[in-house]
Amino acid sequence: MELKTFRGGIHPPYKKEATAGKATVKSSVPGEVVIPVQQHVGAPNTPTVKVGDRVEAGQKIGSSEAFISAPVHSSVSGTVKAIEERPNFTGAPTNSIVITADASQPDKWAEKKDVSGLSPEQIREVAKEAGLVGLGGAAFPTFVKLTPPKDKPIDTVIINGCECEPFLTCDHRLMMERPDDLIAGLKLMMKVVGAQRGIIGVEANKMDAIDLLTSKVSGEPGIEVVALEVKYPEGAEKMLIEAVTGRRVPPQKLPSEVSVLVQNVGTAIALYEAAALGKPVVERVLTVTGPCIKEPKNLVVKVGTPISHVIEQCGGLVGTPVKIIMGGPMTGWAQKDLTASVVKGTSGILALDAATVDMNAEQRCVGCDQCLDACPMFLTPNLIVKSARLGKWEEADKYGARDCFECGACSYVCPSKIPHVAYVRKSKAELAAASEVKGGA
Amino acid sequence: MAAGRFTLAVSPHLHQKGQTIERGMTDVLIALTPAGIVAMIVFGMNAFYVMLVSVLTACLTEVVMRWVLGRKHTLRDLSAVLTGVLFAFLLPATTPLWVVAVGAFLAVGVAKELFGGLGRNIFNPALFARVALMVSPLWLYITKFPRPFFYRTVGFFTPVSVAINNEVAGRVVYRGLFGSVYPDVVTAATPLSLLKSGKMLATTISGPTPVGSTWVTVAGRPTFWAQFLGVHSGSLGEVSVLALAIGACWLLYRRTIDWRIPAGIFGAFLLVTLVTWNYPVFSLLGGGLWLGAFFMATDWVTSPMTRRGKWIYGVGIGLTIALIRLWSPLPEGVAIAILQWNVLTLLIDRYVAEPRFGEVGRSWLNRLPPYPKPGKAEPDKPVPAN
Repeated sequence: MELKTFRGGIHPPYKKEATAGKATVKSSVPGEVVIPVQQHVGAPNTPTVKVGDRVEAGQKIGSSEAFISAPVHSSVSGTVKAIEERPNFTGAPTNSIVITADASQPDKWAEKKDVSGLSPEQIREVAKEAGLVGLGGAAFPTFVKLTPPKDKPIDTVIINGCECEPFLTCDHRLMMERPDDLIAGLKLMMKVVGAQRGIIGVEANKMDAIDLLTSKVSGEPGIEVVALEVKYPEGAEKMLIEAVTGRRVPPQKLPSEVSVLVQNVGTAIALYEAAALGKPVVERVLTVTGPCIKEPKNLVVKVGTPISHVIEQCGGLVGTPVKIIMGGPMTGWAQKDLTASVVKGTSGILALDAATVDMNAEQRCVGCDQCLDACPMFLTPNLIVKSARLGKWEEADKYGARDCFECGACSYVCPSKIPHVAYVRKSKAELAAASEVKGGA
Repeated sequence: MAAGRFTLAVSPHLHQKGQTIERGMTDVLIALTPAGIVAMIVFGMNAFYVMLVSVLTACLTEVVMRWVLGRKHTLRDLSAVLTGVLFAFLLPATTPLWVVAVGAFLAVGVAKELFGGLGRNIFNPALFARVALMVSPLWLYITKFPRPFFYRTVGFFTPVSVAINNEVAGRVVYRGLFGSVYPDVVTAATPLSLLKSGKMLATTISGPTPVGSTWVTVAGRPTFWAQFLGVHSGSLGEVSVLALAIGACWLLYRRTIDWRIPAGIFGAFLLVTLVTWNYPVFSLLGGGLWLGAFFMATDWVTSPMTRRGKWIYGVGIGLTIALIRLWSPLPEGVAIAILQWNVLTLLIDRYVAEPRFGEVGRSWLNRLPPYPKPGKAEPDKPVPAN
């Protein structure tokens, strides 16, 4: 079988064996959840409950009038204990709603409705009300993606089943355990945007999922499963589109520019759940793994569960963890302690030891151009760094600072261990600040 | 449970194992090994001593210079060792060892450390040192090449005047400081200086031809196989095309170097020599083209980063070499051509734009924002009241 792929990229060790074969299990409900009011990319939400209020699981507790936003819902039934700033997974203080959970949680959302009668408008409304965001990690509001510009019709919906990040297996498990829901979710998306073609792209290290899905879609017109080369970042939106359709999204444009919509496996299933069960995004599957986790697992976790509670469900930490990471090892956020809580976009929690993460000190760039070969966006990472070090932000942008989606392939291959992503983030922030000043003047 | 604090760091949290600067340097050293062995076979222990002194001086220079400049030594990255080997490869096997030491000091001490150390150097250190010696009073020591299979060792100290005064009819007599005389180091014209002097056309050449007819044609020039295997006069590392090609394959296989630069050099050079029909095969195999194209021009630090930049740089070097060899009084031009383009690399990296993902028809010129004008000192104005 010929595997499709893109130019550039890297081959990190995948280390998915620990959890790839393990069925997802439900985590216990913690005594207290901390739900950040803002869990998406876009306009901030404001809390719609007060301290002392009683809330039900699935009740909306934060929302915004803005277009690019997604409401948040209480993941448990309980009482609002506090609304205050707590550090989120990036370490930034975020307005959060602390809810004390009841001892017993009701079993809601058991009754399945038929979704075939829903109109595109209704499905969009469902996605918006359910607070659906991209569950692959970027957390962009799904409702916005499902509303492409009128002049840019979508002809293809791609389901991203690559899971190219090492260690993570949650999407793999979802494809294995809930293929029917996935395909139903894909069909809903195709209906919303009026696409004729639906493609599920899966990396070839998940052959069992490819075989299963291929057999499931055999009777479905317009839907196919595509096997992709195992390479990071195969699951990046623009790379996936190129690999599957051969179309390249122009710089700083959205996939709708080439008539494509990309959604993550988890998002498709969550959309189906929202439509069929009326269930908002209150829990998600995540992979808890790494050499310092006693029993690696794929867990279904309530949004707002603290990391410490999740790790306890997996037997706790063993050995000497040096880094705790929320998300995948390539793009995830290092934690300084275990207090941050799981949000909609959390795809994994990793506990890594010193043998896994490289703690070598940064050296000077020697111009080996490994980063240029690795960069899937064909940028010049080392010159971005060089310009950013001198504070020349516009020059950094000429070398591609704003085109970078921070996959980290450059730093992975860098013999001098330069943290390119840090400089890219700094450049982006400075460029945004500069354009705001310009716009305001 | 270890409830301590964990390390905070920006993503990615994984790094390629064994991907270090010394890995790249080791690859190049491995790739240079066949050429080094050939040099020792063809030129004897002289070749080994030159390499040894060059490497030792390079390492010592790095330690001392970095200590003087208040930096930590970086011998572990092996770049000093590599510079030492590369510099030795550019010298005739009979170079007095003190000249080798001076050159290695110039390479590491001046071309690298004074420019700011590895990563900041503008010029390829080995080539810089070689050309610096060429324009110094020591030039004669490094422009007389012994014939193959003359295994005589030269004294460590040999005054310049002795070498110059005793140059008679193509022979150089080196004399050690302590009176020992080495009259029988017989030099020979390199293939390219034969070409330049017009002797390609002669039917016979005067002087001894000790190697025998196997390696030399009746016209007195090296045969194809002599050039290919390395049995002709020249600098240590450049003689054997075969050995260099084996090393180049290793570097390309390991992706330590990019194929675009050598492809550009060879392509442009061949184009010019074919069009002018100036002994294309002979000049392709003779001289430092292979050593330069695969091991000098591809130096990480001093070559452009982008694909477009590499094509410009490679083609530029190829054309420059051809121009020097054809229309300048110099027989050889690889070193000078690469050094020129080392400087131009600074401009190429800044102003040659690489198309980004999904970008079609991006112009080659990177229109960088202008430097802010140096601020004129404002005359002391009274601050407005409000």
